Amino acid sequence: MLETAAGDFAWDSAATIAAAVAAGRVSATHIVEATLARIRERDPLLNSFTAVTERRALARAQALDAARAKGEKLPPLAGVPFAVKNLFDVAGLPTLAGSKINRDRPPAERDAALIERLEAAGAILVGALNMGEYAYDFTGENIHDGPSRNPHDLDRMTGGSSGGSGAAVGGGLVPLALGSDTNGSIRVPSSLCGIFGLKATYGRLSRARTFPFVASLDHVGPFARTVRDLALAYDAMQGLDPDDPVCADRAAEPTVPHLDKGIAGLRIAVAGGYFKGKTAEAVAAVDSVASALGANRDIDIPQAERARSAAFVITASEGAALHLDRLRARAKDYDPAVRDRLIAGAMTPAWLVVKAQKFRRWYRQEVLKLFAEVDAILAPATPCTAPLIGQETFKLGDVALPVRANLGIYTQPISFIGLPVVAVPVPLTPLPIAVQIIAAPWREDVALRIAHALEAQGVIAAPRPSF
Amino acid sequence: MKRKAGRKAKSARAKRPRPARAPAKTKPANSGDALVAASAQALGLTLDPAWHDGIAFNLGLILRLAALVDEFALPDEAEPAPVFHA
Repeated sequence: MLETAAGDFAWDSAATIAAAVAAGRVSATHIVEATLARIRERDPLLNSFTAVTERRALARAQALDAARAKGEKLPPLAGVPFAVKNLFDVAGLPTLAGSKINRDRPPAERDAALIERLEAAGAILVGALNMGEYAYDFTGENIHDGPSRNPHDLDRMTGGSSGGSGAAVGGGLVPLALGSDTNGSIRVPSSLCGIFGLKATYGRLSRARTFPFVASLDHVGPFARTVRDLALAYDAMQGLDPDDPVCADRAAEPTVPHLDKGIAGLRIAVAGGYFKGKTAEAVAAVDSVASALGANRDIDIPQAERARSAAFVITASEGAALHLDRLRARAKDYDPAVRDRLIAGAMTPAWLVVKAQKFRRWYRQEVLKLFAEVDAILAPATPCTAPLIGQETFKLGDVALPVRANLGIYTQPISFIGLPVVAVPVPLTPLPIAVQIIAAPWREDVALRIAHALEAQGVIAAPRPSF
Repeated sequence: MKRKAGRKAKSARAKRPRPARAPAKTKPANSGDALVAASAQALGLTLDPAWHDGIAFNLGLILRLAALVDEFALPDEAEPAPVFHA
């Protein structure tokens, strides 16, 4: 092993790391030690980790190195460090879900399903990540653990609720992370931190042994700095899991083999109307992606504003139902911003929630019709680049809107009906912002192909921060 | 005959106020405070008075957005999205 010449692989992709480990150019132990050193050095600035699983990670790395020494073929993500939003169960740790209250939970007895699947593919868990309390958040701020900080400007938000995931990947601490997305919590941090995020089709990736928020809207998925890494992680995690009643009984459909197919024959449109950007950066990002793809057609996603509203109502109500007993007993232990929203959700009349669920089915049918005409739709991921930490409102046109509730205005109408989306970062200066590539259900391959073609053109990329 | 959901018909209805439905149900701009107090009691929640404004603000926001959904006409036969499989 040429450990001294190996470097720390801080900005290398998961694919590069796995290839280097498999070829014996570097040991998994070296990769993990360098990762742990980086976390110790930089995370005091980013505040992205809430737990580092050092002993476990080193043991896992040593086991991989021993397997290679015995001549065993290593799996596709061998030696790749990753971390998870702290709503994923990690054996031996209480599952915080960003809260104070959950610190009283007993340690999890078993890892979340997706951790098991990534580790089966050779990846190595190095820790748990900061997040907005109970995932009811688009900012990445956390009153108990402090805000995760944007690697491109430490005074700015990461976006949430998977804020630590955005900071850790965008800040070069790990090449891969997992998060959850109920209304945009993978896509919003991807946008603000300038990285790639995949929110797969609802039911595609197992949520088993993760702390829930809104059962009918919850998704989980990966973050990475390249499209190939996103696809590698996604492929490693697909497949039925009886432990998640929502997980689809559908065979895995690998996407990596399709990445290089290009965009020939794909019909790509730009979402019009509600999704037309109202800030210069959102407009510039969508324009640059659309132009590179030759997407010169607008398409109307019908009743998108109503869809966002219905998602908002269902979220408030289902989230409140999950938390009502805790609110009765320990309301003072919640982040006040989350507590107020949850209590308001508990007070929402049931008939409005039922109507929102009825509307949801109608909206799904209407939107699915669009995929007879197009294969993918482009839309902004966020209305703006990263706001300052603590900023309460932002301007959209002439209107000042609360940040916490509105950073997801473009993501909510899409996850509402479970469509797969790849959020792709456009490296604008001074701050990045992402575009959503939205595909038909189960066509993650289409969205990833398009993203890969854009990446090859240099239109999208995860910019390396200078801190 | 089934009422059919159609975009044209719906958007026309969406713009028309519905006199039969009491606006207070979905737009309690001034009844929000009363609703918060009554709901808290019914839900068995003990609220610190300092929380009241934040809760009322959020409830107002939810109900304002819910009104957009409520005004969108759908047939009686429209099924809600989640489906339970026995």
